[in-house]
Amino acid sequence: MADRVIDYSGLKCPYPILKLSAQYPQFKEGEIIEVIGDCPTFEKDIKAWCSKLGKTILNIEKQGNKIKVTIRI
Amino acid sequence: MEQHPCPYGGFLACKNTFCEYGQRLSEILHLCSDIIESISKGDTSKKIDIKVQRYAVQRLIDSINKLAKEVDDLINLNHELAVGICEHFDVLRRLQEGDFSAEASEESKIEIVKMLGQLINKQKERFLDYISKIKEQQEQIFHFYEQQNAILSSVGVAIIVVEADMTIEFANSEFEDLTGYSKKEIEGKMKWTEFFSEEMLDKMIEYHNLRRISPSLAPRQYESKLKDRNGRIREVLMNVAMIPYTKKSVASIIDISERKKIQEQLIHSQKMESLGMLSGRVAHEFNNILTGILGFAGLLHTKIEEPILKNFVEKIIDAGEKARDLAKKLLVFSRKEEIGVIQEININKYLKNFSEFVKTIIGKDVELKLHLPEEEVFYRIDPLHLEVILMNLITNARDAMPEGGELIIGLKEISIDLEYHYTHPLVAPGDYVVLCIADTGAGMDEETKQRIFEPFFTTKPKGKGTGLGLSTVFGLVKQYNGHIHVYSEVGKGTTFKIYMPAKDKKIKPSISPETLKGAETILVVDDDEQTRDFISSFLKDYGYNVYEAKNGKEALEIFKKLNHEIALSLIDLVMPGISGIEVMRQIKTINPEAKIVIMSGHPIDLKDVISVEKTFAPEEILLKIRNILDEKE
Repeated sequence: MADRVIDYSGLKCPYPILKLSAQYPQFKEGEIIEVIGDCPTFEKDIKAWCSKLGKTILNIEKQGNKIKVTIRI
Repeated sequence: MEQHPCPYGGFLACKNTFCEYGQRLSEILHLCSDIIESISKGDTSKKIDIKVQRYAVQRLIDSINKLAKEVDDLINLNHELAVGICEHFDVLRRLQEGDFSAEASEESKIEIVKMLGQLINKQKERFLDYISKIKEQQEQIFHFYEQQNAILSSVGVAIIVVEADMTIEFANSEFEDLTGYSKKEIEGKMKWTEFFSEEMLDKMIEYHNLRRISPSLAPRQYESKLKDRNGRIREVLMNVAMIPYTKKSVASIIDISERKKIQEQLIHSQKMESLGMLSGRVAHEFNNILTGILGFAGLLHTKIEEPILKNFVEKIIDAGEKARDLAKKLLVFSRKEEIGVIQEININKYLKNFSEFVKTIIGKDVELKLHLPEEEVFYRIDPLHLEVILMNLITNARDAMPEGGELIIGLKEISIDLEYHYTHPLVAPGDYVVLCIADTGAGMDEETKQRIFEPFFTTKPKGKGTGLGLSTVFGLVKQYNGHIHVYSEVGKGTTFKIYMPAKDKKIKPSISPETLKGAETILVVDDDEQTRDFISSFLKDYGYNVYEAKNGKEALEIFKKLNHEIALSLIDLVMPGISGIEVMRQIKTINPEAKIVIMSGHPIDLKDVISVEKTFAPEEILLKIRNILDEKE
């Protein structure tokens, strides 16, 4: 169960990761967050974001055209 | 259906499977629409892989594929930019939170992102450099602060730093010792005004305020009175200065109570010396007058036959003798009284015997306690003087206890060391015999204590005391180079401690005045008028005839004239003009048998010269003269 769910559906990439970075200072160390998006490059962007910032992707789930990525901050 | 413009009958009828007309145009258009829609959603992964001969259609397909590629590049650029921004944003955030392990990536396909990464890292390095310099400076400041603290703590003087609102910000350990309060209790909690005597506060607060307007408006150094935890007041010397760039001031506080006490002792001693000289002089003059009065009264007494008149003359003689007695006491105070026969006295034994006599004079209500050491104490003193000292102190003690009490007579031997001498400069270091007379009587206040040794000062009712008892004691003790300490508390009693030097080499030898007398003529040569007068006067007192010369020239003139009359010449060694030795040489030329004594301020050892130190102890000079005249030397 995620500590926080953020839905970026309807937002074109790379807005989701830019918004995620802007929201990042509110997150706590070790918190589990779930980000949802429907942009075709959403998964790729989130993966790149996690890799650059050293965050762990716990799960990727596709539900129709939506992708849900679970991350440990 | 509309006729197709194809020369082969249009794509619907074409049998050539490779001919674009073999496919339906609408399908191609649908495909193109789908691809464009995908691109618009950001999906550039699909391409149209068909070739058509119709130029316009192929151009559309090529354009769509080209668009897909362009959009793909744009998207990739966008993503690269966004990820770069996110990464750098995160690094900046971590740095801002103080995590200096954060490092920006300097790898990016986008030049500006790459440069931004480099810039962040360089900025971080510079920042770290600043921090390290600040830390270094901070460390230096801390060391400096510690050094200053060590200096302030080890300077040996109490120091406080005070704020504008008078709170003490810093106090060193000496201030703790001086006040009895701890740093914890003082710093930041107490105001300096709590440590000073109220009588000083108004002035000191005024100085405090004025100093903050302009340091030159208040004195930098002044004396004050410090109050410690137990309310004890100490005399202190304050040194106050403003600390630059602040409203704080720093004050050093030196305890000058001891210094003040010593100053008072010295002033008191000087006062007693002056009084001694004055009373001695007065007594001397008085004695001279009395000699005439008593002498002529005696003559008158022998000449008068009339009993009434004879009685009057007897009354004059009685009054004159009382006056002579008074003058004698004054002479004792001024230490001009001759010392009688000095004897080695066993003080323990003396006090034991004396205490029996004391019991009869102190009455039943006063209990006598004798504290004597087991070891017997011997002291060389005129027994009469010892008796006068003890009697005066004991009768005073008795009078201080009309309701009864305790009288303690103590004796002990002590050594005064250099340290004690520094705080009591009037007492020389060495061994002392201490006589102590203490009572539990009325005691006295400081003002009275300061004056008790003054001649004619008395607290006793009129007619009960002469005011000469303690001044006589003072004179006698001083005559033996001794010292008196008085401790007194109102309502509790008084203690007199008489310190007599145990090995006093300066005690004058016991010489009978008769053996020093002579009737010869002496020539006294000294350029100092006072010395010359002094020597002449005591020579005359002892029966000699005296001629005086104020320099060598005058001396030689007198000697030439009265060569055979002058039995001895007393010549000062150092004189302006002809020196003492030269005068001696010329006198010897006139008369080789002439007897000459050279006087000097310091001991001298000259061949064929008989000399005497100008100690101004008349006995020594008289003895020397007598011995030479009698050819004992």
